[in-house]
Amino acid sequence: MTDLNIIVFLCNWGPHAAYQALQDNASRIPVEVDMVRIPCSGRISKALLLKPFEMGADGVLLIGCKSGTCHYGTGTLTALKNVEDTRDILGLLGLRKDRLRLAMFLPDESEELLCFLTDFYNDIKAAGKSPAASDPKEEMLAEVSDPVTQIVAAHDVYACQDCGKCSSACPLALSGKPFSPWAMANAIIMGRIDSPAVQKDIWSCLTCGICYERCPSAVNLPEFVRDIRHFLKKKGASNRYEAHGGFFQSLMRTMTSKALKFKRWDWLPDDIQIDPESKVLFFGGCAPYFDVFFRNHLGIQTSDIIIDSLKLLNFFDINPALLNDERCCGHDLIWSGDKENFLRLAKLNVEAIQDMGIEELVTTCPECYWTLAHDYPANGIEINFKVTHIYDLLEREIDKGAVGFKEFDHNLTFQDPCRLSRFEHRSELPGKLLNRLNPKAFKEMQDSGTGAVCCGNCAWIGCDSFSKALQVKRIRQAHDTGSDILVTACPKCLIHLSCGMEDPFLGKELKMEMMDLVSIMAKTIQWE
Amino acid sequence: MTKEKKELLKKEIIITGFGGQGIVLAGRILGKAASLCDHKESTLIQSYGPEARGGACSADVIISSRPIYYPYIKSPDILACMSQSGFEKFIGSLKKGGQLLIDQDLVKPVDVAGDFFSIPATLMAEELGRTMMANIIMVGFITAITEVISLKASRDTVTGSVPKGTEEMNLTAFSKGYNYGLALLKSRHKKAVGKTGA
Repeated sequence: MTDLNIIVFLCNWGPHAAYQALQDNASRIPVEVDMVRIPCSGRISKALLLKPFEMGADGVLLIGCKSGTCHYGTGTLTALKNVEDTRDILGLLGLRKDRLRLAMFLPDESEELLCFLTDFYNDIKAAGKSPAASDPKEEMLAEVSDPVTQIVAAHDVYACQDCGKCSSACPLALSGKPFSPWAMANAIIMGRIDSPAVQKDIWSCLTCGICYERCPSAVNLPEFVRDIRHFLKKKGASNRYEAHGGFFQSLMRTMTSKALKFKRWDWLPDDIQIDPESKVLFFGGCAPYFDVFFRNHLGIQTSDIIIDSLKLLNFFDINPALLNDERCCGHDLIWSGDKENFLRLAKLNVEAIQDMGIEELVTTCPECYWTLAHDYPANGIEINFKVTHIYDLLEREIDKGAVGFKEFDHNLTFQDPCRLSRFEHRSELPGKLLNRLNPKAFKEMQDSGTGAVCCGNCAWIGCDSFSKALQVKRIRQAHDTGSDILVTACPKCLIHLSCGMEDPFLGKELKMEMMDLVSIMAKTIQWE
Repeated sequence: MTKEKKELLKKEIIITGFGGQGIVLAGRILGKAASLCDHKESTLIQSYGPEARGGACSADVIISSRPIYYPYIKSPDILACMSQSGFEKFIGSLKKGGQLLIDQDLVKPVDVAGDFFSIPATLMAEELGRTMMANIIMVGFITAITEVISLKASRDTVTGSVPKGTEEMNLTAFSKGYNYGLALLKSRHKKAVGKTGA
C-alpha cells in the first residue's frame, strides 16, 4: 500500500450499484481509494470537490450517472460544470488538473468502473503525492489567543457608552436584521459569549467599519470582532457561516502549502509588458480564481482589473515584476478567524517577495493593500518593501501633466471600498481620479465616502437574506443617481453587487452595468 | 559628456513676461546654475525700468562652454514667454529651429511656424497657493525641455536663490514644472510612435 489518498464521491444510484457488484465479487479495488457515497453527483459543490485537496488528498473522483439516467434530471449537468470549474482552479494553483476527474457509469458497468478506478490510481501513482499534501505544514500557531476579557480590554470595548450610534449606522441593522453591534459587544463584556445570539451575530458582522467611524469612544469593533472570531475558531467553532460552502477558505488554506508551483499568470495577454528584473512588483490578488468560480453564475471578469492595472502601469512606462508563486494575501482568512493559516500565507508571500529583492509593491485590490501594508506588520510579519495602492501611483503620474482622458459617454456613480475609504481614510483618493475622468456626469450616491454602504459581504462569511436586502438598497441608491455605470474599486464589491442584482423577485429592475475604476481609466487615458 | 558639451556650445535664452512675475530671477537662476554648478560661462542682461511696474520685461541669458564676449541677444535659441506682449515682441527674432516655451494661459501663440511647448505655469502656481511661483515652475519646465542646465544645478540654484523659508515650497513648484516637462516630452514620444492610449 502506498501513502496516496484518493477520494471517490460515488452517486447513490447508477454507479453505486456497479461499485457494489465489485465489492460483492471481491474485485481488487485499489486500497488507497476511499469511497464516499453521495445522493447525487450534482450535490457535490465546488467547495466539496476542493476540500479533499486542502485536507491532503492526491486525487478526487466524482462518479455520477450517465447523462440521461440522472435520477433527478440535471445532476450530471451540474456535476460537469462544477468539476470543470474546480479543475481550472486546480490548474491556477499549479496542481495537475487530472487529479480531479468526473466519470459516469451505468449500474451494469462494473468492469468498466474497475478499469477506470485502476487507471486513475495508476495515473495518480505516476504523478506522485499532491504538492498541496506532501508538504508537512510547519506548525505555526498564532500566539495563543487571549481569553475574552483580554480581547475586550485590548480593544477597550469597556469604553462603549451604549449610545447606539453604531447600530443606527450599521448597514445590517438598517436592512432589518435583528443585529446590534453594541448589544453584541455588551453581551460579550457580560460574559455571555456562549449565548446563541452572540454565537450567531459574531459571524454576521460585515466588518465594514462604519460603526468604528461613528463611535464617539473610538471602539474598533471590526478588529474586536475579528479577534473574537479567532478565539471562537480556536475553540472549534463550526464553519457553517462560510459562504459558498467554504470554498474560498478552503482555497486559501490549500495555498498555505509551500510545495505548490502556481500557474497563475498564464492567461495574461501578450501585449502586457512585464520585467522580471524590476524592483517594482505588481500584486494581482485572487481575481483569476473568482472568475473561474463565478463564470457559470455571474459571468464577471474581475481579471480585467489586473489587466487594466498593468496596462496603466505600462502606459507610464512602468513594467513591473510579477510573483509566480503569489498566494492570497490572507485577508479573508484573518477576517474569518483563521489567523494561523493567515500567518502561513503572509510568511510565504513575504519570503517570496523579499527573495525577488522587491522595493515597492503595487496593488489595485484594497483588501490586499490593507492586509499587506497594515495587517502583516501588525501580526509580526515584517516587510522591507513599500506597499503602494495603484491609485496613489496613478495620481502621482497623472499629476505630472500631459495626460488627459477621452470623453466617456456615461453617467457614473461610485461604490467606495471599505478598506480604502474607512480603514485607510483615503476616500478622497479615488475621488481625485474620478474627477480627472471625462464622463457625461458623475454623481455620488446618497451614502458615499466614509459613510458609504457596504457591498454586502466581507471575507465570504455570514451571507444571508439580509445581505441581499442591504445590497438591493444599495443598488437602488445607485439607480437613484440616474447613472448607468456603477464604478467599483474592489473586485469583491463587483462580485457582491452583481450578485445583488440577480434578485429573482425583482427581475431586471436592479440591473446596472459595473466597471472598475482602473478599467475606465485604461479605456480613456491618453497622452495630450 | 563631450558630446553634450559640443552640442551645447552656446545657447541664447530670452525669458520674457510682465514685470513682477520674477522673470529676472528666473534668468538669474538659469545663469547661476550654468556657471556655478555646471561650470560653464554665462551672462545675464536684464531689461527693466518702467516695465517693473507691470510692463513688458525680459531677461537675456547666454550659456556657453567658452567665454562670452557680447552679452546681448539678437536672435535667441530659446524663447520662454509668460506674457502676450513679450511673445509678440520677441517671436520674430526667434532663431529658426529654436525652442519656444509658453505659459499656455497667458500666451496665445499666433503665426508660429514650428513646434512649441506650453505649460499652465501660472495656473499650477495658483493651485500650489502662490501665483508668484510661476517663474520657478517655468525654470523647471525649461530645465526639462531644453536641458541647457542640469537638473541638479537647477534645483540647487533654486534653493539658493529664493527667500529663506520658502525653499521647500519653491522646490515643489520646480518639480511640478520639471515633471510636467518630462511628461510632455514623453507624451510627444508616445504619440510619435503611435501609442496614445493604455
